[in-house]
Amino acid sequence: MKIKTEVLIIGGGATGAGISRDLALRGIPSVLVEKGDFASGASGRNHGLLHSGGRYAVSDPEAAKECIAENKILTRIAPHCIEETNGLFVSLPEDGIQFRDRFLQACDEAGIPSTLCSRDETLAWEPELHPGLLSAVKVPDGAIDPFKLILENVKDAENHGAQFFLHTEVTSLLIEGNKIRSIQAKDLATDEEFSIDASFFINATGAWVNQVLKLAGLHIGMALSKGSLLITNQRLTHRVINHCRQPSDGDIVVPNETVSILGTTSVRLQEIENFEVTPHEVSLLVQETSKMIPAIQEARLIRAYAGIRPLFQSEEKGNDRAISRGFALIDHGQRDGIKNLITITGGKLMTYRLMSEKTSDLICEKIGREMPCSTHLNPLPGASRPTGSKERLKQFLTERGEILCDCELVQRKEVEGFLEDEKFKDLQDILHRTRLAKGTCQGGFCVYRLIGVLHHSRRSGGDSNKILKGFLEERWKGIRPILWGTALKEEELIESIYKGIFNL
Amino acid sequence: MHYDLIVIGMGLSGLMAAKTAAEAGQKVLIVGKGMGSLCLFSNTIDVLGQCPIATKMTDALSQWIKDRAEHPYSKVGLERIEEALSSFVSLFPPPYSFHAIDHMNCLLPTGMGTLRPTYLIPATMIGAASFDEGHTLIVGFEGFKDFYTHYVADRLKCRGINLPLPDPFYQELTATALARLMEKNSFRENIGREIKKQLQGETRVGFPALLGMHDPIQVKEGLEEIMGTKVFEMPILPPSVPGKRIFDRFKEWLLRKGITFLLGYPVSKATVTGKRCQGIEVQHPPVITSYSGDHFILATGRFIGGGLKADSKKIYEPVFNLPVHQPPSREGWFGRSFLGDLPHPIHQAGVLTNASFQPVDERGDVILENVWVAGSVLAHHHCIGEKSREGIEISTGYVAAKRALEK
Repeated sequence: MKIKTEVLIIGGGATGAGISRDLALRGIPSVLVEKGDFASGASGRNHGLLHSGGRYAVSDPEAAKECIAENKILTRIAPHCIEETNGLFVSLPEDGIQFRDRFLQACDEAGIPSTLCSRDETLAWEPELHPGLLSAVKVPDGAIDPFKLILENVKDAENHGAQFFLHTEVTSLLIEGNKIRSIQAKDLATDEEFSIDASFFINATGAWVNQVLKLAGLHIGMALSKGSLLITNQRLTHRVINHCRQPSDGDIVVPNETVSILGTTSVRLQEIENFEVTPHEVSLLVQETSKMIPAIQEARLIRAYAGIRPLFQSEEKGNDRAISRGFALIDHGQRDGIKNLITITGGKLMTYRLMSEKTSDLICEKIGREMPCSTHLNPLPGASRPTGSKERLKQFLTERGEILCDCELVQRKEVEGFLEDEKFKDLQDILHRTRLAKGTCQGGFCVYRLIGVLHHSRRSGGDSNKILKGFLEERWKGIRPILWGTALKEEELIESIYKGIFNL
Repeated sequence: MHYDLIVIGMGLSGLMAAKTAAEAGQKVLIVGKGMGSLCLFSNTIDVLGQCPIATKMTDALSQWIKDRAEHPYSKVGLERIEEALSSFVSLFPPPYSFHAIDHMNCLLPTGMGTLRPTYLIPATMIGAASFDEGHTLIVGFEGFKDFYTHYVADRLKCRGINLPLPDPFYQELTATALARLMEKNSFRENIGREIKKQLQGETRVGFPALLGMHDPIQVKEGLEEIMGTKVFEMPILPPSVPGKRIFDRFKEWLLRKGITFLLGYPVSKATVTGKRCQGIEVQHPPVITSYSGDHFILATGRFIGGGLKADSKKIYEPVFNLPVHQPPSREGWFGRSFLGDLPHPIHQAGVLTNASFQPVDERGDVILENVWVAGSVLAHHHCIGEKSREGIEISTGYVAAKRALEK
C-alpha cells in the first residue's frame, strides 16, 4: 500500500484532529496517523474543563485571554460537547480576600466576565460548599467532553476529505536532503507496513514529540508533568468549583454529566509510559478538594487517572515561534534545516483550535497560498443535535431494549450499531465511544457482557478471555489507588466474580 | 428477649452455626442485614479448589493443615471439617442433593466457558462433571444479558443456540425472573420442544444456572423428558440462583426448628461489660430493639457483607471493634496486577482468634469470653484464590457453634 497526500499529521489528540479539520476546511488534503485511539494522550486524560481563563488570570494573563476567546468560540461551534455550568472561585476563611481582589482585577483586565457573589447566595446555589466560605466569584467556566469534541472534529474533517489511520505507528522517516519524503507506518493490529508520501509533515504528538523527532535525529526541550485526577460516583455540584488562591494541587472540582472530577496534582516525570496515580496523590487530592466541599471526605471514588502535560521549555536554543507561553509552534526548517517538518506542542485542550489555526497558517505560508481559517465560524457537524444525560434518559425511556451497562444505561443496540458502522481494532475503542464501563462498577459487570456481544457478532478478534483479562488489568490501574470504603466492597465482588465464579 | 445463642450474620457460616445450635436444642436468634455472599457466589460448595486435581480431598486437607497452622481449616481440624460437610449435606436430601465425585474436586463449566474445580455439586450440575466435548448443546436466551451462548459454547468446543422468548418477558430479563418462569409448565414445555427441534445428536444440554428457584429437579427432569437428553446448569454472574436455593432451604429448616429469624436489619450496637457481650441492638427504623444472649457468634462476612470495613487508613471490625490482622498501610493492601499469581495481601486480613475461634488480641489473650467468630471475616485465608469459601464458612460456622455449646 502506498498513500500520497499533501500534509501528514502525526498524533490524534485534540491538536492533530483540529489541524486535520482546519486544513480540510481550507481545502488542503491531509492524512492523520495515530498509534492508539483518538485522545489516547493528554487530550483524553484531563478534567474536561471549559476554561473561562480565570485559573490563569493572575499568573498568566496571556493564557487567560486565549482561554476566554476560545471559550466563546467553542461555546458557539461545539455546544453539544459543552455543558455551560458556570464556575465559582471560592474564598475560604484561611485564604482571606487579598487574592480574591487581585483575581477580580485580573479577570477584568483579561476580559473575563466575573461577578462577586455573597456567601449566602453561593450556598443557596451550591449547598455542598464549605458553609464558612467568605465569598465566591462567578466566571463562565464549563464542562467539555474532550472525546466527543475530537470525534466531531474528525467527522467534519472526514466530510471534507481528510483520512485517518488509528492504531498505526510511525516507524521511520525517509529524509532526502533538507526534506522528509515519506513516513513508514505500521498497523499495530495487523502488523501491516506501508508508506505515506507527503509534502509537509506535522508532529502533533504532545508529550511524545521527541519520540517522533528522534526518527529525524532531532530533539526539543520538553518537561513532562503528570496531573492526577479522581472521579466521584456522584455529581457533587452544579458548577465548576475552583479554590480562589494561587494555582496549586487539588484546587478544582469539575462536574461531568453524573459525576464530578477532582483535580489536579503536578508531578515531574522522567519517562512517559507506565505512569500511575499514587496513594499519596489520592490522599492529597481528597484533603485539598474537601476544604471546598467537605462531603468529598465521605464520597465514594470510582477511579483515579493521570495525564501528562507536555510543557515546552522555551529557553531552548533555536528560533522557535513561541506564540504564547501556552504552546509552541516550531518550524524545523528554520531551526534544524528540515524544511517541511513542523512540531506543535505544549498548550492545552482549551486552545487546541487556536493551535490548529496557527499550525495551518504556517502550512499555508509554506505552500504560498492564502486561505483563511474558518474553524471558528463553522459549527461542528452535530452542533444542532440535543445531547447530554437528559437526552440519553429520554431516549432510554422511549426505546427500551436490552441494557448492557446498568450504571450508565448503555443499550446493546448502541454497541451493535457502533460495531456495524465503524471498524474498530480494540476493546478500548468501543469504551471510548460509549459510556459503557464509566459508571460505579467501572465495567465489572458490563465488560463481560460487552465481550459476550462482541463474541456473538464475531468481532472479538481472538481469544475473548484474553481481551477480558487485558481490560481487567487496565481497569485495575485506575481502581487500585482508591480502594477503601464502598469501592473496596465493589472490588471484592468483582474479584470474586472473575477469579471465583469464572476461575479466570 | 433473651436467647441461648445469638448469631450475627446470615450467610452460610451464620446459617450453619444456627443449624448446629438448633440441633442441640438451643434457643437461637439469627440476625442479618442480608443473605451474605451465599446468593452472590455460592453455586457449588468449594472446599479447596486450588489443590491439585485428582487428589482425594482428605489428603489435600491434611497436607494443607500441616502446612498452614494459622489457616481456619487448621483450627477446625480434618475430622470436624468432614463432620461439618456431612451436616451440610444432610440438610439436602435427594432429589436436590449435593455430591462429591470420588471424594475429589471435579471441573465444572462456567458461564464464561472456563472450567472450574469445585467439590460438592448440586444435582442440577452433576451432569456437567467430566465435561464431554462434542456431545453437548449450550442453550441461552435472547435478551438475557448475563449469559452469552456462543462465547461459552465456542470455548467449550460445542454447539450453542439462543432461544427467543415471548415479548412480555423480554424486558428486564434476570436470572431470578427466568428461574421462576422455568417453573411454569407451559413456559418450560415450549422451551423443551423448541430445543428438541434443534438438537443435532447432542446428548446433553447445558443452561445458565436458572433452572427453577424452588423445584429445580422438576424443571431439570421435565426438560430431560421432553428433549430426551441430560440437562445441567452452569454458574453465571451474580445473583446466584443455586445460592438462593441453599439459603431458602436453611431458612425453611431453621424456622421449622423454631429459631428466630431476623432478616433485613443491621446490628447497630453490641453491649459489652468487661469480657462479656450482654446483648445486641438491632435497628428497625424508627425503633431499636435489644436482644440479650448467653453466647454470640460473629459471622458477618468480609467487605461485601460488612463484617470488615476500611477507611482510607485502616481496616476495622464494626460490631465489636475486634483487632483486625492487616498489612501495615493502605499501599500494601493490593498488588500491582489484578489477576497476578500472588494473592493481594488484603485477603489475609481478618479477625484474629485462638484455636477455639474466640477473638483474641495481638498477644493471644481472649477479648470476649462468650463470643465466637466464624466464616470469611476470619484472618489468614484467601477464600477466593484457594476456592475454599463455602468450606470455610460451613466448617467454621459448625465449629464455632460447637465451641459455644461446650461453654
